[in-house]
Amino acid sequence: MKKIEIFDPALCCPTGLCGPNINPDLMRIAAAVETLKRKGVDVERHNLRDVPQLYVDNAVVNKFLQEKGADALPITLVDGKLEVASGYPTNIQLTEWTGVDLGSIPKTH
Amino acid sequence: MKAFNIAEIALTKYLFFTGKGGVGKTSLACATAIGLADAGEKILLISTDPASNLQDVFSQTLNGEGSQIKEVPGLTVVNLDPEEAAAEYKESVVGPFRGKLPVSVIQNMEEQLSGSCTVEIAAFNEFSDFITDPVRHKEYDHIIFDTAPTGHALRMLQLPSAWSTFISESTHGASCLGQLSGLEQRKEIYKQAVQTLADAGETNLILVSRPEISPLLEAARSSSELQALGIKNQVLVINAILQDVDESDAVSKQLYDKQQQALKQIPDSLKNYPLFSVPMRSYNLSNISNIRRMLYEDVIVGLDSDYKLLSKELTADDLIDDLYQTRKRVVFVMGKGGVGKTTLATTIAMGLARRGAKVHLTTTDPANHINYAQAIGAGISVSRIDEAEVLEAYKNEVRAKVADTISASDMEYIEEDLRSPCTQEIAVFKAFAHIVDKAEQEIVVIDTAPTGHTLLLLDSTEAYHKEVQRTQGDSSEAVRNLLPRLRNPLETEVVIVTLPEATPVFEAERLLKDLRRAGIHNKWWVVNSCFSLIETRNPFLKEKAKHELKWIERVKQLSNHHTALIKWNNMN
Repeated sequence: MKKIEIFDPALCCPTGLCGPNINPDLMRIAAAVETLKRKGVDVERHNLRDVPQLYVDNAVVNKFLQEKGADALPITLVDGKLEVASGYPTNIQLTEWTGVDLGSIPKTH
Repeated sequence: MKAFNIAEIALTKYLFFTGKGGVGKTSLACATAIGLADAGEKILLISTDPASNLQDVFSQTLNGEGSQIKEVPGLTVVNLDPEEAAAEYKESVVGPFRGKLPVSVIQNMEEQLSGSCTVEIAAFNEFSDFITDPVRHKEYDHIIFDTAPTGHALRMLQLPSAWSTFISESTHGASCLGQLSGLEQRKEIYKQAVQTLADAGETNLILVSRPEISPLLEAARSSSELQALGIKNQVLVINAILQDVDESDAVSKQLYDKQQQALKQIPDSLKNYPLFSVPMRSYNLSNISNIRRMLYEDVIVGLDSDYKLLSKELTADDLIDDLYQTRKRVVFVMGKGGVGKTTLATTIAMGLARRGAKVHLTTTDPANHINYAQAIGAGISVSRIDEAEVLEAYKNEVRAKVADTISASDMEYIEEDLRSPCTQEIAVFKAFAHIVDKAEQEIVVIDTAPTGHTLLLLDSTEAYHKEVQRTQGDSSEAVRNLLPRLRNPLETEVVIVTLPEATPVFEAERLLKDLRRAGIHNKWWVVNSCFSLIETRNPFLKEKAKHELKWIERVKQLSNHHTALIKWNNMN
């Protein structure tokens, strides 16, 4: 099965709720990741604030960050390959990669 | 009301003094510590006083490890600085990555570690070591803290699944908790600290207030918050009560009446606890011998013939003239609670209106009918932001959005995120961004201001989530419009209000630092409630007035002499 890794920027919380805006996209991705996990998908989100070392150790992420700066985040890797940057993957993309139907989660795009 | 007597309070192992800044927590904690040490007990006093004047009080250098006080056998004092602890913590996280990650990425990390949550958590982290250390527990008869952990910090640690879920999955973790480094290793320490706090046999909470409405309300708020967390052993101490009234001295009569009035309005929730009083002292609590006297000896009058009233100082009118002449469009009045922001905002609004400006006044003070009526009478349009209401509206907006997608257990975390101080600030910011956005022809005067941290968070998020936000409602557009206006010194002035006392001035200095960090300009300071501007024969008040001068001078230095003074007034 494919392994999905999402490298978030430094977030107050995974939902962005204590941030300045209710960001529906953050809520969507938080819920989608939860659902995928429950279905046994190998998916992980990293918060730059808590695990910055991963952003150094991962060569793909680090190289991209050095080139583009913080605007490149969030970055999504699928099996170690960069698939999406400067935004989160859509539910359709997630379904394509995992085969899990995310129809119950409201789409914001 | 009974006089505060150390022998009459439950002397548990741990004593916490809590209350609003400037009510005298540190002085009372010191007086208690010295009193107990004098009685032959072994005492550890742990202070987080932002004014950090304990080194002067004990006339020796203090540190975070503990120093024995030469003049008080049996007393050891630890001086902690949570802001410094938070800064050190931030650097320990970010430092190793400088040079390894791009500058913009480092900045993103730094801002997320600069909020009030980080300070709260860093403070709790420091406390927990002292609350759980078995060596200190054995060595000292009493361990006294001049502050208490916040309800927010404690609740996060109490969430039933906080430990298991957060540590193992770190997905929907209570956000502020995520900042704790090495959480796993310290898990047992935090658990034990929370348990000790809630153990009535071990812990007593001493709520400190002044005989004034706003610190009493603050005491009631933290009392019920900590009560809900199991800290039920509480007493209330009201500090600085004027004992005798000189009927022929108008000022002392007014102050006496005002205090007595406030004492009649002690919130019901506080009435179940033992109540004690400490008289207003005519001497400065700045050395060991005076602090020793604080709880025992009554009048010691320091007659001072040199003292003169202040005169030829800048006034609120000078400030308003400047705002008018420089054509400011948005005026924020910023300061800690209880320093008189709403009254000053009203004065500014009315002064601008008298000079011919069209003015809109926005207040956040729920009990502000007098100022309201005055302002409306002067032809000013007025609006009110009910902080509780906007926060509730924001929470409901969030709840509605997540209801379908998030499970009940995750909802618990989200609720705690919603109780964080950042959430409150942001909800209020959004509300007044909306008001400023709508005002086109009017000068907007607001009795509150965003902190630098909120602004930087907004700023980075704005830049970062531009795409997403374009698709969102108009309130985020209002926020986007306000940010650059706030940074423009030609358009916006943030007036900082404080009182002529140590803690309020230090707290205001922090606000200033935070504003500067966010690139917000400040020119004017206002020192409110000065006794040094009014004639009185009362020796207590004269003494108080004399001690104000040092703090007024400090504010003048900070503001490059753009300091307006307002005399004490029984209306505010």
